[in-house]
Amino acid sequence: MNFQLIGVLIRLRYRLLWAKTRTRNGKIALFFAGYLLLVMVISLLAAGGVGAGMTAVRSGKGTLIAGALLGGIYAQAIVASVVLGFGMTAIFSETELRRYPVRALERRLTRHFIGIVDPYWLLFLALDLGIALGLYLFGAGSFWFGLAAVLLLFCSNYVAARVLGMLVDRLMMKKGGSAIMLVCMMLLGFLPATLGPVIRRHPRILDAVARLWQSTPPAGAAVAMTQSNLAALSGLGLILLWMAALLAVLVVLERRPPKTRVAQASKVAWETPFDRIGAIFGPQTGPLVAHWLRFYSRHNRFRTIYPLALPLAAFLQFFLGRRLGSAGSFPISLSVFLILGFIGTGQFAVNQFGYVGGGFRRFLLLPTGAAAAFRAGSYMFIMLSAALILPAAVLWSLFMPARFDPRAIVMLVAASVFSLFLFHGIGLWTSLLGPRRGNYNQSFGNDLSFAGNIVVVGGMLSLLFLPQVAAKQWPNAITPDYWLVAILAALLAAVFYFTSLHFATALFRVKRESLMVLLEGKS
Amino acid sequence: MDAIRITNLVKHYGAVTAVENLSLSVRSGRIFGFLGPNGSGKSTTIGCLTGLLDPTSGTVELLGEVFDSENAAIKKRIGVMPETLGLFDPLYAQEFLAFVARMFGLDEVTTRQRVTELLDALELTDSSKTLAEYSTGMRKRVAFAAAVIHSPEVLFLDEPFESIDPAGVALMKQWLRRFADQGRTVFMTTHVLETVERICHDIAIITRPGKLVWEGDVTLLANDGSLTYNGQEFRTLESLFLHLTGEKYTDLNWL
Repeated sequence: MNFQLIGVLIRLRYRLLWAKTRTRNGKIALFFAGYLLLVMVISLLAAGGVGAGMTAVRSGKGTLIAGALLGGIYAQAIVASVVLGFGMTAIFSETELRRYPVRALERRLTRHFIGIVDPYWLLFLALDLGIALGLYLFGAGSFWFGLAAVLLLFCSNYVAARVLGMLVDRLMMKKGGSAIMLVCMMLLGFLPATLGPVIRRHPRILDAVARLWQSTPPAGAAVAMTQSNLAALSGLGLILLWMAALLAVLVVLERRPPKTRVAQASKVAWETPFDRIGAIFGPQTGPLVAHWLRFYSRHNRFRTIYPLALPLAAFLQFFLGRRLGSAGSFPISLSVFLILGFIGTGQFAVNQFGYVGGGFRRFLLLPTGAAAAFRAGSYMFIMLSAALILPAAVLWSLFMPARFDPRAIVMLVAASVFSLFLFHGIGLWTSLLGPRRGNYNQSFGNDLSFAGNIVVVGGMLSLLFLPQVAAKQWPNAITPDYWLVAILAALLAAVFYFTSLHFATALFRVKRESLMVLLEGKS
Repeated sequence: MDAIRITNLVKHYGAVTAVENLSLSVRSGRIFGFLGPNGSGKSTTIGCLTGLLDPTSGTVELLGEVFDSENAAIKKRIGVMPETLGLFDPLYAQEFLAFVARMFGLDEVTTRQRVTELLDALELTDSSKTLAEYSTGMRKRVAFAAAVIHSPEVLFLDEPFESIDPAGVALMKQWLRRFADQGRTVFMTTHVLETVERICHDIAIITRPGKLVWEGDVTLLANDGSLTYNGQEFRTLESLFLHLTGEKYTDLNWL
């Protein structure tokens, strides 16, 4: 094993990282990321880990509580990694590493070592360590067994996320993959609500689930952290077994790389629906809108996310509605319609040029104003998101209200239009001020900049919870009586969008050279 | 008439000077070779001439009009094959060319006709592959087709012949000669000096950072003539180029 060269490659990854942080934006991002990480680690270690350890020991159910906590962390790490793409960035691809005189095993080791020391994974390591420390401090386990369990659990967590990520990626590349994924997500969402009554009727199921749970890595780690001698060793052995199995799957998957699927046209047509839709925008902008539509229609990630938007909204309505009951149903509908305004296209609209790569240069050579492609792209996102609103309104009026109230429909549609213009307006700015070069061929993962993530994730969470909070504070404010306010808000958001479009167009001219450098991968 | 006129062009990237006070002009109907060593500012100059980059100072005139990146009327009359090709990988060649043609204002019938003819002539008829799946040479052919599809009056080509097979290069040269014979202008950069000797009428040689060191007529070489610099005669373009850009020989005893 050529550890020296592996070390050189790992150092190279950090040299590249440091080279990026030498820029002004890089320093700001580094400062914020470092600060946030520090605060989170300290608070989690202190409050989460030690507190959990204390609770576990005092309750006399140390193993059970530790297992539940570790399981939660394990699952969260996988979900955030696979769905949001955190900690999944491949710094060096297999092909890039083939340039160097390293063997297959060394290349794999290099890639995954770089992957596992990502700050995202270190955060989960800190959480696991916090629990182990808490248990040890309150006398529930051995320090060294705890440490070994944390390290093994951490590694198995990373490998499990990688394996699941690769499986999902492959699924999305298959025809009908996004539909299967949708069904899986729905099933996962409905599972807790469905399982409750079933378990109440058949309590033995719970025993079977508990037995299954005992053979998972977090349960093994909990045993190793809270027991001693043979029992602790058996816990460590269980994690090792899982690690071996997951690594075997990972190796098999990596040895059989998937064929990238680009939506194939058996015969390339001269006149397509994209061209017909584009024609609505006139001869200057029309071909650009058609081009954007064609471009994104072949983007695996877009093909996954956009069709999921409406079912996801329906799922949110159903799921949250069940939890909060009829009293909270209108604020929930409001949340759902607000989210619908940008959920389908949001992560693309905040980084509009992120996937065009060298094609960006072509836009600047076309005989139009420099920002024409920028405007056309935004129109396309607006149009696609707007197309979801009407079907959603029809479905809502068919299935939701006990008594049909047209004001409610108007208010919900206006709320959607409000978030449509607001977030696509913000998206114009983030596309220019926080762009990031994305991977066109990847179906999942996070290709957004820090600013892009703040807008998409922050926007989604705030739209989800703000109407509920407002409804609690002012119960009479979130009702269809205020439909005119919603229309006014939508109008204001439209003004914001068009004003942004005007000023961002001017900014585009200033930023286009730096955008070109970034998107062509030269910085 | 000058098709291209550059006056005191300066381009800075922060503290780095890429082009320094460059002035030159290119007459209509000429094939102009723009030469220089790596990093001398050739692509930056083409970027300023085609609206990709804004000059720090100086002016660019194309076809008798002052040109900047927002001058769509002039952009319509020029064709550009950029250094990085500017292709959209998920598109098919036909779709890409049709998109470019429509953007340059060609009608439906002309678009179909020209796209079909270009794809045939440049042997890009494999419609099962997207641009991402094409070889480097085929991608260059597509970028070349996109540059000429609207029959521009001035053609800017940044290293057009690299990676293209000899048959493709021969075809492109033939087109470029006919293009110039019709009174249109070609401005190209390349490192293949033999090609420049055979195809170009005039050349300019720049050194780092974008400083003009020689310009003149190279057709003299085809008639057994020579090029002169400071009273010194050069029988080949290569000898002049190496003289101007600094010939260097370092012996590596381990190689």
